[in-house]
Amino acid sequence: MGIHGLSKLLGDYAPSSIKEHEYKSYFGRKIAIDASMSLYQFLIAVRQDGQVLMTESGETTSHLMGFFYRTIRMVDNGIKPVYVFDGKPPTMKSGELAKRADRRAEAQKELLKAEEQGDIQEVEKFQKRLVKVTPEHVSEAKKLLSLMGIPYVEAPCEAEAQCAALTKAGKVYATATEDMDALTFGSSILVRNLTASEARKLPVREINLSKALTELDMDQSQFIDLCILLGCDYCDSIKGIGPVNAMKLLRQHGNIEKILKGLSGKKYQIPENWPFEEARRLFVEPDVSPADDIELKWGNPDEEGIVKFLVEEKGFSEDRIRNGVKKLLKSKQGSTQGRLDSFFKAAPSPKAGIKRKASDSKGPLKKKVNKSK
Amino acid sequence: MFEARLIQGSVLKKMIDAIKDIVTDINLDCSSTGISVQAMDSGHVCLVLIELGSDGFEPYRCDRNITLGLGLKALSVVVRCANNDDSITIKAQEGTDNINFVFESPNGEKTSQFEIKLMDIDSEHLGIPDTEYDSVVKMPSHEFQRICRDMSQLGDSIVVACTKDGIQFSASGDMGSGKINLRQSSLVDKEEDQINIELNDPVHLTFALRYLNYFTKATPLSPTVTLSLKAESPLCVTYPIGDFGSMKFFLAPKIDDEDTAAATQE
Repeated sequence: MGIHGLSKLLGDYAPSSIKEHEYKSYFGRKIAIDASMSLYQFLIAVRQDGQVLMTESGETTSHLMGFFYRTIRMVDNGIKPVYVFDGKPPTMKSGELAKRADRRAEAQKELLKAEEQGDIQEVEKFQKRLVKVTPEHVSEAKKLLSLMGIPYVEAPCEAEAQCAALTKAGKVYATATEDMDALTFGSSILVRNLTASEARKLPVREINLSKALTELDMDQSQFIDLCILLGCDYCDSIKGIGPVNAMKLLRQHGNIEKILKGLSGKKYQIPENWPFEEARRLFVEPDVSPADDIELKWGNPDEEGIVKFLVEEKGFSEDRIRNGVKKLLKSKQGSTQGRLDSFFKAAPSPKAGIKRKASDSKGPLKKKVNKSK
Repeated sequence: MFEARLIQGSVLKKMIDAIKDIVTDINLDCSSTGISVQAMDSGHVCLVLIELGSDGFEPYRCDRNITLGLGLKALSVVVRCANNDDSITIKAQEGTDNINFVFESPNGEKTSQFEIKLMDIDSEHLGIPDTEYDSVVKMPSHEFQRICRDMSQLGDSIVVACTKDGIQFSASGDMGSGKINLRQSSLVDKEEDQINIELNDPVHLTFALRYLNYFTKATPLSPTVTLSLKAESPLCVTYPIGDFGSMKFFLAPKIDDEDTAAATQE
């Protein structure tokens, strides 16, 4: 998924682009959320005793649970979410999708084996790998969102690309996904862990693209080439070139064409008819709806509609749902807290004096940046 | 070399108490004219600006501009070790990664020394423009503290309205609502008990009480406080520190939201 090893690379080479913030500091921000990613997250993570949540008739409800409560958590914290759903996958992705289908078949086999052996943990692990989002899941999620008054967008193609377009156009503050290729598509700000469970207490990790580019000393087109070299969803990468080599080669040659020239005759196996140019084109001009045509509106929740859908049809507890709706309604009242940044402009820091050397062996305490994946 | 001695060490203790709930780290920007600190809360809603002129210290020495990054947790642990009547000396050598604090009792019998490791803090600095405020209200600091505390029992936000009749604070919530009016007073004996309102234009603004209650932790620093208000702009709450400095808090107002407002009207 996404770009192989990009988040580690940014942690190593561009640490200042990654910042951790408290969940509640995102109040008042509009955020585009990759809904397809969230659907998978919810189907995998929202479980009880290892099983997805179901109605009496056996319909899955994990995704509705996830969308309902995690959206409320955001709204309660003043965040204005807009969900973006995947459209058709680009043809370039067929290779990656075939690979995923293979892995799924593999997991199916493993699951049978584990079931035979009665290894509950393994069974659970492979069940999770077999999770598949169905069109019903998607349409139910959309229905719930409309009832909640939360806007959603249907992307013509990849959701991350559409999120990136919204972020670039300033329609939203950031893209929320775990998929790092949102950066490759040009999201100026990417936030991770926003839709993670509250119980895990993960801080929101914010990645700033322009800071990353400055620190990597690259422009966006070089960054795209870097992502292709690292390994994206659209084409293979060159075997034997990892993150360190990719950085070195790009800094030396500037783009993939020149790198290939420099590599010819060397030990690296360049995939035959390597379609990196098409992959690059997908990142540069992805199939998205123009952000200016999209109007985002946060409406009032339809309490009775939500109760009818979730309680009567899906068997949720009425008290809990009504309580949730109350939170949605409450956030509609009153005004939003402003931010000082919108009144005062950033000024250069007055550190013109002595800049203590960070390379000093007894260097000052650095604020910890978690470099885990 | 940087060295500054503050005779009244208690001032430093009070300053740190006032900001430790808002920010976690601060940069002391030291220059030949004095020390300044600018820091924001994580949500960028409020900003603390401390300015201390070099004449408040005896002696004060700053050979080159230097920025000292400090974690407030460590700082408040150390400063709590000082007695209220101790003098506090801050020292930093060039090229080292430590800052030294020396506390001396008035009779010179007891001295204590502490050392804190410096941190590299990449803080974002905001340029605060010189603003001509619509209304400037000076009042006793304990009065302001009381108003904020009382109003926060009623609701989350406070509406501050300045007119020619005076300044009104109001709040409302599920339980009910409340209003407090203050009028200009000049007949009070003590100058610091006076309420003084300079009004160029009436203003009407809403603020989150949570932050104001943080700001009023600075009340022990000064008997008076000044509120500077301007329509659709941040509030500035100023606590003077002796005659050599000040502690200012800026707070972004609450604003009506277009998207939500439009949706509600439908």
